[in-house]
Amino acid sequence: MSIALDQVTKRYQSVPVVNDVTLSIEQGEFLVLLGPSGSGKSTLLRAIAGLTEIDHGRVSLHGRDVTGVPAREREVGFVFQQYALFRHMSVAANIEFALRVRGVRAAERRARRKELLRLVALEGMDERLPSELSGGQQQRIAVARALAHRPQVLLMDEPFGALDAKIREELRRTIRQIQRELGIATILVTHDQEEAFALADRIGVMHQGRLLECGPPDELYSRPATRFVATFLGAANLLLGYRAPEGVRFTAGTSTDAPPREVVAVLRPEEVELATTASSVQSTFVGYGEVQEVLFGGSIERLRVRMPADGPVPAAPGRDDGTGSLMEVSRTLPQQRLFPVAVGDRVAVGARRVHVLPTPISSFTILAPDDARMRTLRDTPFLATLAERMQTRVASSTGEACRVPAGMPVVSTGTGSAAQVEGLMRQGAERLLCLPPGALPPDHVLIFVQEAAAQDATLAVAASLLRHIPAEAVYLGIYPEDGPEQSRTAALRELLDLRNTALERHGLDMRTELRAGDATTELLRQLVAHERSMLVIGQGSPDSLDWSGLAQLLEGPVQRPVLVVCSAGVARGGVR
Amino acid sequence: MAGGFRRPSVLPGFGLTFGFTTFFLSALVLLPLAALVVKASSLTWHEFVAVMLDERAVASYRLSFGAALVAAVVNAVFGFVVAWSLVRYDFPGRRLVDAVIDLPFALPTAVSGIALATVFSPTGWLGQKLALVGVQVAYTWLGVVVALILIGLPFVVRSVQPALVEVQRDLEDAAETLGASPWQVFRRIVLPAVMPAVLTGFTLAFARGIGEYGSVVFISGNLPFKTEITPLLIVIKLEQYDYDAAAALGFIMLAMSFVMLFAINLVQAWGRRRQVAAGR
Repeated sequence: MSIALDQVTKRYQSVPVVNDVTLSIEQGEFLVLLGPSGSGKSTLLRAIAGLTEIDHGRVSLHGRDVTGVPAREREVGFVFQQYALFRHMSVAANIEFALRVRGVRAAERRARRKELLRLVALEGMDERLPSELSGGQQQRIAVARALAHRPQVLLMDEPFGALDAKIREELRRTIRQIQRELGIATILVTHDQEEAFALADRIGVMHQGRLLECGPPDELYSRPATRFVATFLGAANLLLGYRAPEGVRFTAGTSTDAPPREVVAVLRPEEVELATTASSVQSTFVGYGEVQEVLFGGSIERLRVRMPADGPVPAAPGRDDGTGSLMEVSRTLPQQRLFPVAVGDRVAVGARRVHVLPTPISSFTILAPDDARMRTLRDTPFLATLAERMQTRVASSTGEACRVPAGMPVVSTGTGSAAQVEGLMRQGAERLLCLPPGALPPDHVLIFVQEAAAQDATLAVAASLLRHIPAEAVYLGIYPEDGPEQSRTAALRELLDLRNTALERHGLDMRTELRAGDATTELLRQLVAHERSMLVIGQGSPDSLDWSGLAQLLEGPVQRPVLVVCSAGVARGGVR
Repeated sequence: MAGGFRRPSVLPGFGLTFGFTTFFLSALVLLPLAALVVKASSLTWHEFVAVMLDERAVASYRLSFGAALVAAVVNAVFGFVVAWSLVRYDFPGRRLVDAVIDLPFALPTAVSGIALATVFSPTGWLGQKLALVGVQVAYTWLGVVVALILIGLPFVVRSVQPALVEVQRDLEDAAETLGASPWQVFRRIVLPAVMPAVLTGFTLAFARGIGEYGSVVFISGNLPFKTEITPLLIVIKLEQYDYDAAAALGFIMLAMSFVMLFAINLVQAWGRRRQVAAGR
């Protein structure tokens, strides 16, 4: 392993900008860290180089722990966006800088310089000053300079950011070639997905300080696990669909005996099929729409099709302004020739291939007896923040009727809430969020599983939640106080295994704690101890849930957000 | 453009601006100086040499130029340090310190002189303490240096500050990842970048130090041959109605200052050429 990061966290004024990143890069691998600005990718890169100290975690380079080692002793090559060439020095002096400070003899320095200039194809530029070179040439010199001391890893912070498109592409090719030739582990930071696809062996997508997903480009594109990656890496239509025996359908079914299983489906623009009528659509029919915009772009035609308000439901909020949602479509020339369309045409839309996100939270549906209480719940900072970060739709249903909605039900805590929860669970709701009015986003998430069968589903929900909220996760193991001594050691071992499973299967990094005593008392004690805490509680079936305990949590004097998971099965859609 | 020094510029009216430049330089700098030269030339060569090489005068040159040089060197070093801490660190009261730097500019020099004399006199707050270790500042050449440091500090700080702001942090980071120690980063990256500015500040402080009068006369004690600066000597000549000798001394100061400042400017121009070639 060339570069190994273990739970690296960096905070600025207690706000984490790099949050718990664990990652390893093999010798010779080219990793591209991709993310919007402010996602923490540059900070992470600087942390690897030692230019930024980290608050938590470890950094190892070639098996050597360098967490506390200053940058000058880490043997890394770093390339900056603005080149950072020493302007008062010639090209030769720039390239030789690393060797000069190491006291390497002149003859040796010269030989290495010639070699590097050949590598970046700028022979004979030795005596020029940086200001006499073009931007592209300057960045090549910066690369040569960064490689002079034969570093073990090469780190590049948006190296093409200041260059125009044509030079960018050329330099991209050069860098890829050099990297292959030297077999050096490389991390490049960029916000340009095209660049990431062109260079990467693996892409790591960062968002709000977290490394959301990491994998080969084609895999991340075709099988993303999160909404953010699905929409950030290429264009995507995110739709709410329903799981059906034949796959995913986008039209509501007729059977009402079981609540429909809602999923978030990723429909890439190129996988959208357009046809004249529903019957001529060869793939899964989505609905009828009206062509609103046609952009000719050379080999590819880009269209926007407006779907009616009662058509397919977009999974992200804000895409629906009451007049329906827009579907992004792209078609190749042969497809255009087969079925030419123009603005205003009515077309049937089909989905050739959809990818179902393995997210256990597809959407929220607020259940409230009246409008006022619905609005209170909707405006709760907890729900508003979560929905915004997760890009999740929040629907609502008012009235006394207590039917299980397709999305995750959201109810208020307080008197009568335990009964309401029980009713929903007995009707088949598998996940349920109970919020005290005005609840803030948590910074402490307590996870407790009452029945081992529910473990996987509970961890999946908790992981999905924690991917979007920067909070500490604590898994609480509770064993009876009067039990034999062996039960304690067994419980301890179990907790350790569980921690590994959570990390490997769900990418969930959590602390584990073991306590003796009564579960409800202990949970209450822990929830009271942290003002902004919440509970994720898991149970196999509604029959075995401790309802009186839950009532204490939901209706007692101290109310915290509680997410109840009631599922004996494995997390659905676990494609990852 | 073929030949001529008129080059197109974004600012209009080269003729106008050049005219103003010539006028102001002539009316405010060159004409009075010319008057000085004319006045001095009323002496015969012999008389002039006698005034110039008078023992008391020579001692005063030594003090004026020597103290100004020492003070300018001290200011170059510590002014840099002050500018560095103002630019690179954010500490409570930074803005206040930043404002205090300019005070010597605003204060009447006599006021700073009297204040310094009070503090450094053998009975003053600092003078008392220094007397214990056998150092006397007031009424010695040290006092002159102290006064000139106070007067010259803002020149260095205000010259270096903007140059330091311009040194990209990236450059230092780059040097660090390449294996440079903090000293090497400073010596090879930061210093070359701000050196022209330090030199400018040094020149300004030095020039100001040579001509300073108000603050020095109160702390120096004005002992002939010991703590008497040339400007004071000129005033003394004036008070004795010896206008010709005063003009001669003035002319000598003028000539020496001009030679030194011109030399420093040459050095700077050379440094700037390197900097410009390096495309700041």
